[in-house]
Amino acid sequence: MTAVVRTRGLTREYKELTAVDDVTIELEENRIHGLLGRNGAGKTTLMSLLTGQEFATRGEIQVFGQDPVENAAVLSQVSFIRESQRYPEDFQVRHVLGTAPRFLPHWDQAFADRLVADFRLPLKRRIKKLSRGQLSAVGVVIGLAGRAPLTFFDEPYLGLDAVARQLFYDRLLEDYSENPRTIVLSTHLIDEVAQLLEHVIVIDEGRIVVDEEADALRGSATTVVGRRADVDAFVGAREVLGREGIGGLASVTVAGLSPDERRAATAAGLELAPVSLQQLVVRLTGTTDTEFEKSA
Amino acid sequence: MTADTLHLPATPLPAAPSLGRRLGNVVRLHLANPATIVVIPLSVLAVVFVVMMAIAGMILINAGDSTTVEKVSTGFQYSGAGFYIFVYMLVVAIQAMNATFTYALGLGVTRRDYYLGSALTFVLLSLAFTVFFAVMGAIEDATNGWGLGVRMFTSVYYGDAVATRFVVVLCAFLFFFFAGTVFAAVFVRWKAMGLTLLFLVLALLGVGAAFLVTITRSWDAFWGWVNTTGYVGIALWSLLLTAVMGVAGWALLRRATPRG
Repeated sequence: MTAVVRTRGLTREYKELTAVDDVTIELEENRIHGLLGRNGAGKTTLMSLLTGQEFATRGEIQVFGQDPVENAAVLSQVSFIRESQRYPEDFQVRHVLGTAPRFLPHWDQAFADRLVADFRLPLKRRIKKLSRGQLSAVGVVIGLAGRAPLTFFDEPYLGLDAVARQLFYDRLLEDYSENPRTIVLSTHLIDEVAQLLEHVIVIDEGRIVVDEEADALRGSATTVVGRRADVDAFVGAREVLGREGIGGLASVTVAGLSPDERRAATAAGLELAPVSLQQLVVRLTGTTDTEFEKSA
Repeated sequence: MTADTLHLPATPLPAAPSLGRRLGNVVRLHLANPATIVVIPLSVLAVVFVVMMAIAGMILINAGDSTTVEKVSTGFQYSGAGFYIFVYMLVVAIQAMNATFTYALGLGVTRRDYYLGSALTFVLLSLAFTVFFAVMGAIEDATNGWGLGVRMFTSVYYGDAVATRFVVVLCAFLFFFFAGTVFAAVFVRWKAMGLTLLFLVLALLGVGAAFLVTITRSWDAFWGWVNTTGYVGIALWSLLLTAVMGVAGWALLRRATPRG
């Protein structure tokens, strides 16, 4: 496997905030990566650093083996449409979609036309008159049709309805299987994208808290449910990621269990439930489900 | 944390498109929607032109004597009616760069390519508007001020000959465009607060310079210099300042980051 992105000790400090804190990661070529975390966790700053839009305070970055900052060779292979992407105010949608291909050498116009039809984008409408969802759709069209070897999607579906979101997932997977490239999907709508992701990076307060294969991560935690005494006896000194209880019942999320341990738990009359990626991220970033939903 | 450097990946990176192509793309980005950059300034110029014609017409009708076309023409020679378009180019530069900077970076344009491409756009626009001025000036001369003695493109400030007029007008456009790049870079980097501070600093510098000239009793020398240098000379001197502003714009923009 080849890493297209490598960072070492990457740090971005602002006056009173360390937005990205000592991040050392590698992104493998031709995979879909999830960059997950709460609002303000450092997702956008990290992506801005990787695309040379922000300047690092400390640390090293290599994208396609080179420093991306002011590097035309690297940046012509990269696309990063941010969540709050600004477009020229007097542009209509057709102006945006007319200029973007000049900067994205792998652009596929037929694919772009199809996406515009799919998302029902009004080509002659001014950018500032678009709804939030339509604005997101413009970014999605650029990100998908641009086919940049390294493509970042930053909360790509804010304001998109369920149909449009499904459309995005479908088109992404379809096109990705025909034209493999490295994709980074940054989001806090984790459950929806969970099955798309091959690798998961979770960032919290600027630090990387998870950097794992998605498959490994899915089996990495289990919720044990049963009578409190039985659950406590089984959990013992294990690493506990979360704990809830009502009356005599307890529900405890623990780190990975071996097959033997699973059998033991079942024998002790305990129920085992898989933990979704979203629940896992919620546990790891130290907030309750409800708080997390509110931040979304 | 180890100190060893990062490894190179196996896949070679394709070369970037040529510099000319990259800059050309930035120029086309600026011109993609010519409304702000071309259509609006020309429209306002057209309105000013119509107003000038109307005023000249009213003067002639009131005077009721065809020989006064010459007098109208003399009266109009100090016309500054075309001036607004120069100052407007400062606004155009600010708007154009503020509108496209974040977008261009999102599309993977380096700041250097973006700035050079923007500068190239402004030089091309300056040339285009200057040619437009030259053509309109020639017509104005040939038709004795559009038949009404109107002097909008042959104002005395631009000089008498076609060549000097071309030089003065071109220098004026370049000056205001590149003044615009400095304001634009400050705005992109520090937003409104930066511009406010810049204006304060410029005001202080201006007053300071005037104060210096006053206490050294150099105003006579200053105006003497202006008179001997002439409009063409001043226009050529302005190129020096224009070049300084061009470099300053880059120095300011090279550390700018896109803001949401």
